[in-house]
Amino acid sequence: MQLNGKYEFNGTQQQVWDLFTNPDSLAKAMPGCQELKETEPGKYDALMKIGIAAVKGTYTGKFEIGDPDPPNRYQLIGEGSGSPGFVKGVTDIELTASNDKTIVTYQGEVQVGGLIAGVGQRMISGIAKMMLGQFFKKMKKELKASGPAGS
Amino acid sequence: MKPAAFEYIAPKTVEEVIDLLAAHEDEAKILAGGQSLMPIMNFRLGRPGMLIDINGLAGLDYIKQQDDYLLIGGLTRERTVEQSSLVQDLCPLLSKAITFVGHTAIRNRGTIGGSLVHADPSGEIPTVFCALNGLVKAVGPEGERWIDPEEFFLTFLTTSLEPTELLVEVKLPILPAGAGWSFMELSRRAGDFAIIGVATVLFMNDDGTCREARIALGGVAPTPFRAEEAEEALAGQMLDEQLIAKAGELAGEAADAEDDYHASAEYRQEMARVMVIRSLGEALARTGKGN
Amino acid sequence: MAQRQRIRLKVNGVSYEREVEPRKLLVDFLREDLELLGTHVGCEHGVCGACTIMLNGKSVRSCLMLAVQADGAELTTIEGLADGAKLHPVQEAFRDNHGLQCGYCTPGMLITSLEFLRENPDPTRDEAKKAISGVLCRCTGYKQVTDSVMAAAEAMKKE
Repeated sequence: MQLNGKYEFNGTQQQVWDLFTNPDSLAKAMPGCQELKETEPGKYDALMKIGIAAVKGTYTGKFEIGDPDPPNRYQLIGEGSGSPGFVKGVTDIELTASNDKTIVTYQGEVQVGGLIAGVGQRMISGIAKMMLGQFFKKMKKELKASGPAGS
Repeated sequence: MKPAAFEYIAPKTVEEVIDLLAAHEDEAKILAGGQSLMPIMNFRLGRPGMLIDINGLAGLDYIKQQDDYLLIGGLTRERTVEQSSLVQDLCPLLSKAITFVGHTAIRNRGTIGGSLVHADPSGEIPTVFCALNGLVKAVGPEGERWIDPEEFFLTFLTTSLEPTELLVEVKLPILPAGAGWSFMELSRRAGDFAIIGVATVLFMNDDGTCREARIALGGVAPTPFRAEEAEEALAGQMLDEQLIAKAGELAGEAADAEDDYHASAEYRQEMARVMVIRSLGEALARTGKGN
Repeated sequence: MAQRQRIRLKVNGVSYEREVEPRKLLVDFLREDLELLGTHVGCEHGVCGACTIMLNGKSVRSCLMLAVQADGAELTTIEGLADGAKLHPVQEAFRDNHGLQCGYCTPGMLITSLEFLRENPDPTRDEAKKAISGVLCRCTGYKQVTDSVMAAAEAMKKE
């Protein structure tokens, strides 16, 4: 499925770049992220507990920050698998300055497979969008919490 | 596949259920009709550590009238509601809608409370609950409270019921004489999940204008919801073809659907428009004040 | 593994007492513990209907019930329709009207039809089609199944 959208952040482009490439911020913002460990520069292993109502699963994931062009854009490459199924995707993340704010635009292609994709087909896109919304909301909170002192 | 192992307990009283939920809230799940929970468990999409089987609770299976309301116990089987002449008389909208819930075997076990708590965005019972602006009664360690549809449905499969609460009753307003109603569903086969579900209610003035309209949509958003702009367009007006078409358009625009295997977002949006127009027409005809 | 529970139930008029794990599905209990193989496992999520049986006189998906939930209940499975060697009119109608080919959905079709005809002994063809719409058949294309239901209605009226 295609996932795309944009969010406005109250920060400079550099501040937002730092936020989006900081594994601690990412771990705090990603819904259900229990652990995010950098294994190599720009590569992470993650443990995520994701679910909605009774449908809950634990996924082990791998993320990679690909083609970084600080502070403008990078490609987020990720995959996760758990007993309910698997998720694989590549998302282009672009930062643009707008007055004294930064607009984060994302455009991605995500594949969901396994049982959850079959049985949950009619809700997968909606739930994915919802989780992305939660992620960006939390990232905005992270930015606010880090204060104007980000370089 | 088969369910993962779990602890099973079948309490006899609501108090026991609440105590169990409070003690095991992270891992316990209520088993009512099981028509939604068992598929999830059979596929291991969910593995609650404990199942609290409430089918043995007495006193939660009833249908009765209380003044201007129809009260239905949370554990009442959908089939019982379907075959009830009291519901047929006092809430024909629910009687009609419930015939679209799966098939007879499903309705023989599924419960009205379970359907609401499961909160499938395309669920017929949740959609009707929104249209009628009913209430559900939840019982928890703090006591009982009533919840209306707007507060109840949060998102996909998620309600504002606390993990320590049990839904025990559904309270539905009885429509006054002269009110029109309609339930329609679009699905590929009989008994399938709705691609679009529409429940409409029209309250009319003596002069033939519409006093209030209710348009509830299922299957086009993370929860069933009321298309408020479309409803406002009809309030106080004489309902002619043009105005109904306008309401249909507004309802379609309110849809917040995604593409999926069954239908594209555009198709759902367009079908929402079409179904709302048809449903309003049917509801209007039932008021006896149609032109 | 959770504690096994003792259940007592009647199936096709015969009383049984067994110990089961709570997570054992009723359909698997019937097939594995009672060796009543007539009820079939299809989709395991309630949509195909092959597992349909009667519980206390009402059709249910036995793949969506736990065996422990059938404690104290009276069940009818496909094995309970015939009276010794004498087939039930519904079974005869399906036989005579080619209402089955591979037979996988047939237990579900028969139980569903039986419940339907008990409640609606004089159905229209459309009503019969709607009644069987909850059981999926990959072989017949449903026409012969509908013919069988209509024929069964006729036969049962004569009884």
